[in-house]
Amino acid sequence: MRNGHVDDIATLVEPGRVHRRVYTDPDLFELEMERIFGCAWLYVGHSSQVPQPGDYITTELGRQPVIMVRHRDDSIKVLLNRCTHRGAKVVNERKGRAQRLTCCYHGWSFDTDGELATVPVPEGCGEGFDKDALGLARAPRVGEYRGFVFASLAEKGPSFEDHIGPMKGNIDDLVDRAPDGELALDAGMHRYVYNGNWKLQVENVLDSYHVPFGHASTVNKQGVQFARREGDRKGATVVEAEKKQTAASWKDRKSFTVGNGHGWTSNTTLDDGKRSSPAFDEYKRVLSEKVGAERAGEILTPRLHNSLIYPNMSIMGLNIHVRVIKPIAVDRTEVNIFPIRLVGAPTAMNFGNIRLLNVTHSAASFVQTDDLESFTRAQKGLASRFTDWVDISRGLGAEEPDRASNATRGLATHEMVVRAQYKAWVGYMGEAA
Amino acid sequence: MTLAARDLLAASGLDRAAFEDFLIHEARLLDERRFRDWMALFADDGTYWVPATPDQKSPFAEASLFYDDRELMKTRIERLEHPRIHVQTPPSRTAHIVGNLVVEATDQANGEYVVGSTFIMVEYRDDAQRLFAGRQRHRLRRHGDTFRIVQKRVDLINCDGAFEAMAVPI
Repeated sequence: MRNGHVDDIATLVEPGRVHRRVYTDPDLFELEMERIFGCAWLYVGHSSQVPQPGDYITTELGRQPVIMVRHRDDSIKVLLNRCTHRGAKVVNERKGRAQRLTCCYHGWSFDTDGELATVPVPEGCGEGFDKDALGLARAPRVGEYRGFVFASLAEKGPSFEDHIGPMKGNIDDLVDRAPDGELALDAGMHRYVYNGNWKLQVENVLDSYHVPFGHASTVNKQGVQFARREGDRKGATVVEAEKKQTAASWKDRKSFTVGNGHGWTSNTTLDDGKRSSPAFDEYKRVLSEKVGAERAGEILTPRLHNSLIYPNMSIMGLNIHVRVIKPIAVDRTEVNIFPIRLVGAPTAMNFGNIRLLNVTHSAASFVQTDDLESFTRAQKGLASRFTDWVDISRGLGAEEPDRASNATRGLATHEMVVRAQYKAWVGYMGEAA
Repeated sequence: MTLAARDLLAASGLDRAAFEDFLIHEARLLDERRFRDWMALFADDGTYWVPATPDQKSPFAEASLFYDDRELMKTRIERLEHPRIHVQTPPSRTAHIVGNLVVEATDQANGEYVVGSTFIMVEYRDDAQRLFAGRQRHRLRRHGDTFRIVQKRVDLINCDGAFEAMAVPI
């Protein structure tokens, strides 16, 4: 607690509402950086971004600059990007390849596992100079599942398996769509920022309630959204054209939670029988050839729409991409969006996915820009006094167990998933670091 | 202008002012929010591309800020005209300035010309003003006494930076 006046965390979250301070209080943000982003398992990057030894990307975990790099022994290291000499950021590029990571200031040079390799003018080092103790700091814990690399900046805490276990099926759902069973995040990235709290984006990824109104400008007079995938003739029907109301089929969509703040929404029809294009038909053929017709049928059966791996990443199943949420300040957030290439799928299909992601989720896209406007206006509104509580009560008490997926189920237009996120938030924030 | 550029322009049989007038007209249509008229400047096979990395090779293999063909441009413009486009409530106001025009290539056989220029666009919206700048390259095709845009490529100097929402074409 920076200023010592962050009161009891639990009083900020009630069953159907949260206090506006969770979005606006800089002291709470500082505490989040310690107790959530300083402890939780955070998504760092994907192994396909560092295919060869020496390949690296740089990113941030909370506000900690890190380097994700592949070492000579093929292992992936997550190193703190801060020279152990005088503190300069060591690697300044977003991605690259290097045998050694060399600081620009005095030339200290580190191996790709973080060990301090060489120091210029070594004879100037005193007797007590302990080179072995001066390697780049490493994330204490790193875990990987099917190419998705996570790290925790805390020595102790729930295991990677505890954290990711309930969401493995969601990762499988995406990875299995690739005929070769692997993904490549090698098609660049979209970067956007907004003047709002990071949780606004996190809450939004599983929010099906906002779509018909928030994205009204993407819907034609028949209530149908533009086609968002290779092979689709048209997009989803989200509004009943005559009544100008949320479409019944949209209202039936479900959402699911599994603890730890994670959750997902159903469902995305991958193959509705109508979806067809030369590239999509070829994809179906290749997938069946690789995994068999029966398994291909399962993979193309509707299950997941969007999945949230709390607190900092989501896997979006419709316009397939990985989204990473990076808090900068209590009222400033950066989001990175990575197109996904399904390895083994026809090039035209992958190119189609990359291209349609420009339309839906670039900083100049048709969909994301209206969300950014809503986040920005929420932050402005939440700064005002007299209405201190934010209502997240939709569907409170209507949650049901879903035995098939060992989850709790609600309607996707309800706010069960947001409440689940705040349950996890209180869990993290209530614990001393 | 370099000698080579001068020769190219001479070879085109066109006055430099013809290209300049066209680019100024295009910028003005954007600044006046006459998006349908702007779209009509594009050839049927025309594309509008704003890469997300410097020197980006392909609009297909990598993410871009914009890569619109005529059909997508139309969807984009229908959205810009939609009464509930929240990110344009209130709408953006923009001012473009286009200069440093160079004819980079000519293809007399097909009546096509590649014209490079430098631009600055200032945008004001909802109490905030921001600046976009970069180079643009138009591939123009002769069309009667004017041109159609075969491709407009806009290379923002900060193309790989993080942007707040962008709604209007640059």
